[in-house]
Amino acid sequence: MASIFASTTTPSITRAGLLPKRALGVSSSTVLGLPAMGKMGRVRCSMEEGKACSHESKSKMGMGMGASLMAAAMAASMSSPAMALVDERLSTEGTGLPFGLSNNLLGWILFAVFGLIWALYFVYTSDLEEDEESGLTQTSKKEEEGEGESVTKKMAVATSLTVTTPKKLSSLSSLSSPTLHSLFFSKALSFSPSSSSFLSLRKTLLLSPSHHTRTRRRSFTLSASANPHNYDFDLFTIGAGSGGVRASRFAANYGASVAICELPFSTISSDVTGGVGGTCVLRGCVPKKLLVYSSKYSHEFEESNGFGWKYESEPKHDWSTLIANKNAELQRLTGIYKNILKNSNVQLIEGRGKIVDPHTVDVDGKLYTARHILVSVGGRPFIPDIPGSEHAIDSDAALDLPSKPEKIAIVGGGYIALEFAGIFNGLKSDVHVFIRQKKVLRGFDEEIRDFVGEQMALRGIEFHTEESPQAVVKSADGSLSLKTNKGTVEGFSHIMFATGRKPNTKNIGLESVGVKIDKKGAIEVNEYSQSSVPSIWAVGDVTDRINLTPVALMEGVALAKTLFLNEPTKPEYSYVPSAVFSQPPIGQVGLTEEQAVEQYGDVDIFTSNFRPLKATLSGLPDRTFMKLIVCAKTNKVLGLHMCGEDSPEITQGFAVAIKAGLTKADFDATVGIHPTAAEEFVTMRTPTRKIRKTNPSEGRSESEVKAVAGT
Amino acid sequence: MESRKMLSEAETNKSADQVASFDFDLFVIGGGSGGVRAARFSANFGAKVGICELPYHPISSDKHGGFGGTCVIRGCVPKKILVYGGTFGGDLEDARNFGWELSEKIDFNWKKLLQKKTDEISRLNGVYKRLLSSAGVKTFEGQGKITGPNEVEVTQIDGTKLSYTAKHILIATGSRAQFPNIPGQELGITSDEALSLEEIPKRVVVHGAGYIAVEFASIWRGMGSEVHLVYRKELPLRGFDDEMRAVVAKNLEGRGIVLHPSTNLAQLIKTEDGIKVITDHGEELMADTVLFATGRAPNSKRLNLEAVGVQVDKIGAIKVDEYSRTNVPSIWAIGDVTNRMNLTPVALMEGTYFANTVFGNRPSKPDYSNIPCAVFCNPPLSCVGLSEEQAIKQANGDVLVFTSSFNPMKNTISGRQEKTVMKLVVDAATDKVLGASMCGPDAPEIMQGIAIALKCGATKAQFDTTVGIHPSSAEEFVTMRSVTRRIPVGTTPKTNL
Repeated sequence: MASIFASTTTPSITRAGLLPKRALGVSSSTVLGLPAMGKMGRVRCSMEEGKACSHESKSKMGMGMGASLMAAAMAASMSSPAMALVDERLSTEGTGLPFGLSNNLLGWILFAVFGLIWALYFVYTSDLEEDEESGLTQTSKKEEEGEGESVTKKMAVATSLTVTTPKKLSSLSSLSSPTLHSLFFSKALSFSPSSSSFLSLRKTLLLSPSHHTRTRRRSFTLSASANPHNYDFDLFTIGAGSGGVRASRFAANYGASVAICELPFSTISSDVTGGVGGTCVLRGCVPKKLLVYSSKYSHEFEESNGFGWKYESEPKHDWSTLIANKNAELQRLTGIYKNILKNSNVQLIEGRGKIVDPHTVDVDGKLYTARHILVSVGGRPFIPDIPGSEHAIDSDAALDLPSKPEKIAIVGGGYIALEFAGIFNGLKSDVHVFIRQKKVLRGFDEEIRDFVGEQMALRGIEFHTEESPQAVVKSADGSLSLKTNKGTVEGFSHIMFATGRKPNTKNIGLESVGVKIDKKGAIEVNEYSQSSVPSIWAVGDVTDRINLTPVALMEGVALAKTLFLNEPTKPEYSYVPSAVFSQPPIGQVGLTEEQAVEQYGDVDIFTSNFRPLKATLSGLPDRTFMKLIVCAKTNKVLGLHMCGEDSPEITQGFAVAIKAGLTKADFDATVGIHPTAAEEFVTMRTPTRKIRKTNPSEGRSESEVKAVAGT
Repeated sequence: MESRKMLSEAETNKSADQVASFDFDLFVIGGGSGGVRAARFSANFGAKVGICELPYHPISSDKHGGFGGTCVIRGCVPKKILVYGGTFGGDLEDARNFGWELSEKIDFNWKKLLQKKTDEISRLNGVYKRLLSSAGVKTFEGQGKITGPNEVEVTQIDGTKLSYTAKHILIATGSRAQFPNIPGQELGITSDEALSLEEIPKRVVVHGAGYIAVEFASIWRGMGSEVHLVYRKELPLRGFDDEMRAVVAKNLEGRGIVLHPSTNLAQLIKTEDGIKVITDHGEELMADTVLFATGRAPNSKRLNLEAVGVQVDKIGAIKVDEYSRTNVPSIWAIGDVTNRMNLTPVALMEGTYFANTVFGNRPSKPDYSNIPCAVFCNPPLSCVGLSEEQAIKQANGDVLVFTSSFNPMKNTISGRQEKTVMKLVVDAATDKVLGASMCGPDAPEIMQGIAIALKCGATKAQFDTTVGIHPSSAEEFVTMRSVTRRIPVGTTPKTNL
């Protein structure tokens, strides 16, 4: 695989991503066969030359390489059908058009082989890449990588012979592209039969950092110098949260030179503070879950009474111990993130990034140029502007309070509100939740909304429904009261607003370069995360698509592949599972009943509402609710919802099954794991109700449904 | 197809000349998970069904059993209740670093837990009886015995005997824990008694390293006992993935259980200070309780099988075909008494399929592939599909192994030194996931959904395209990007440790 890696046929490829729209404009719809492709390549290249000249003076770097090599690389891009194909592919992506050259069979075959090889390479080799974000939050499993390393080291020795290949090939990359390509393909194909050596080669490269770096540097020098623009970086990322770090690391792994800027660390985010790791690690998923763990104990103590455990005195909670231990963990994680970036050769710049022009970012007065700019600055909690709102706190502050609230009002009924309600309730604060609607969790399945509200109320949380906040009033004794449309509730030590989050798109120069922003302030992007300015891209919460860490990670990987791996990749938003760490927690994937009925008409609903084994012993009123939504026509499982202990952990595996398009019959054919709560999902034999919208004669008959359900 | 034809022919022949003369269409001996399921489903298909079971008692014997069977009365359910009880021990330790100040003296009242456990299983015993009666199944309390291919005899508690004829007889009598043949074995107990001990033992020696052994070791350790686990092999849990076995061994040790691998018990001697346990290495351990968890044997001895010629194997398991039919066409058997895969949900599956085959006019064979299972040691182990060793043996091409070993988020604060380990075994040629296993908190709950994916032949690529649930442990299963090792085809796996 080193052939692909080191030869970096990408000079022309990456460059192609530069001016996609303009290139498309030139070639328009005439790109049908090889001649047209050649022509397109030529036109575009000349345009780039023109731009390069004007850009040269601005660039701080000199032309790194001889003009002859540059010319050769350009010639390659013009004369190679495969390359032209890639060019075209990239140039159309911004418009969402299908690949332009579907009738060019040769090109497609080459492309398919190319893609297949890359896919193999990718699946089998990313070994020593640190598993970043998601792993980290469970605490750097990298500490364990020692074991894996020793294994791979052994393999590396066995195959050290092949390591010479990259050098050879990189020197060959100045050959004309067809030669290069035939060579590259034959080489790659000759590898594939013995894919184990193929695999370990890549490992070898990754294993010895010095060698690895050298190889990459060399190949990169080549690509950079072949590039007429001489940007400082191939990619400049603004914002080092989950999405930004992921995209940057992967881009660097694909051979791009990458810089990333992030604000200085603080547990509270603002225009001037942030921290490597972003919302998830510093002000979201991780600290939240740590607090959830802590607060859950009070329920466990109660449960344990039912199992024979007795405490001489009531367990008491010390807030400062928890917060100190939490912050120590966050410091550790942000450090790990910085190391990850360093080990991936991503340059970290601390400071506030602002876009100056489509290829330039200003970080605290210093200018950096980049072929591509990625905006991944995330979002921030939003407190509505009502009288006294300055006395209210948001989730950032709630995660890092100096003392535990005695009595707290939480305004909002979304997942953040419920999670904090659970946290503070578990830590024995007096918790009041104010929601504008009748039910919590708008957008979730209606039955889940009812169920979780009931369960939380049983645990002692007071819900104030259909109450909108109008003012926060601070009284002389320092206590706060919340005035709503229904009246005033007094005596709060804290009032927290969990009323939504807004993308951080202000004052980062987006307007000045013409990046389009929607009404809510989110950057508008196409399916490939490209903004209205072709060289500016955006992933994560700043785009307000699905605001979840794993989705930002997906978008980051997809972007890196699109830009630097020649694999235009659209993130896939169907069947993205999610969880609410309320107490009890929720897990869900796929459609709600309401969505399913709307989209499919005829659906079968299977539900189970039971008292878990633990609750029968503890005597607590805990229950678990599970729900499957099945398409009546196809038997496909459209949605799965659960509220009860372990729901998030349980849902993940089912998400794999549902994403794979499995049917209710597949669920039924699976044997349960006894005794668990999860087994309930594979033992739901009879539909709770059947919803029929279509003409009865077209629908499935009653007995048919039963037969399927009762297998 | 052929068997289906044969079956229905046999059915029609019989129904033509005999149907009117039978007392029951089906008589089930044994009211455990499999028997109750088969009885209920057969009744739902319109069959006239009778079922007999021994009188209820928490400890099984020749005279005692109870509707619900091993799972409900002496297995899964009471075991899990004690596991919950024991797990609190470790949880309380973990709570301190999360800011909880607990009194020095925390008391664990075993008698209270025992009472609640007994209440719960008595309740479930009643639930099972009601399930049967509401399905229209006639229940009998007493010892069932086969007296002819279509005849059973039930000896009731008062000694009176009832005799019935049935078109089909189903044996679902389960299995029972065994004592090993060593001097002083009468001083030890089995899992039946262990679930109903009067006092919580301070010092325990557990003999064996199957799932029952490691579960009880974890339960007692969690309740504060000193626990020794003595077993013959190098690692516990023979038959499971070797790497995961090593993880379990390490975790048991980390939780304070003393492991004695490659060791056998030689003798038990009663002393004033308790039971003196002597190992084959000459080591001596003092214990209040010695648990034998060295195996279970099918309950086939007292059924009078010889009389009608039903074949059993060496260990006494009833031999059946793929449809759970014995060599006597009117006699069938399911569950542990057939010693196929001794799990409650498997017995349920066999019971359902039996009913489908015999009374539902839908001959169906239970499918034993990709059946998930769990071991409720602390932390638990769960797996589905092939172990790495099995995959290497069976695969036609290279095998890819993906592993992830990480410190679960909770431990970052609690300070507990215990890794969660996950593993996917993939066929390199087809990308199909052949096996998944996990050892760590919530493993059994996490594995259920993964099991559906494996059952339906999901590929590693399908795992990879699934977005994670963050932050969870389970998301590791869909974010294992790098292969840990590749085992070339033709490699011989290391033999059982």
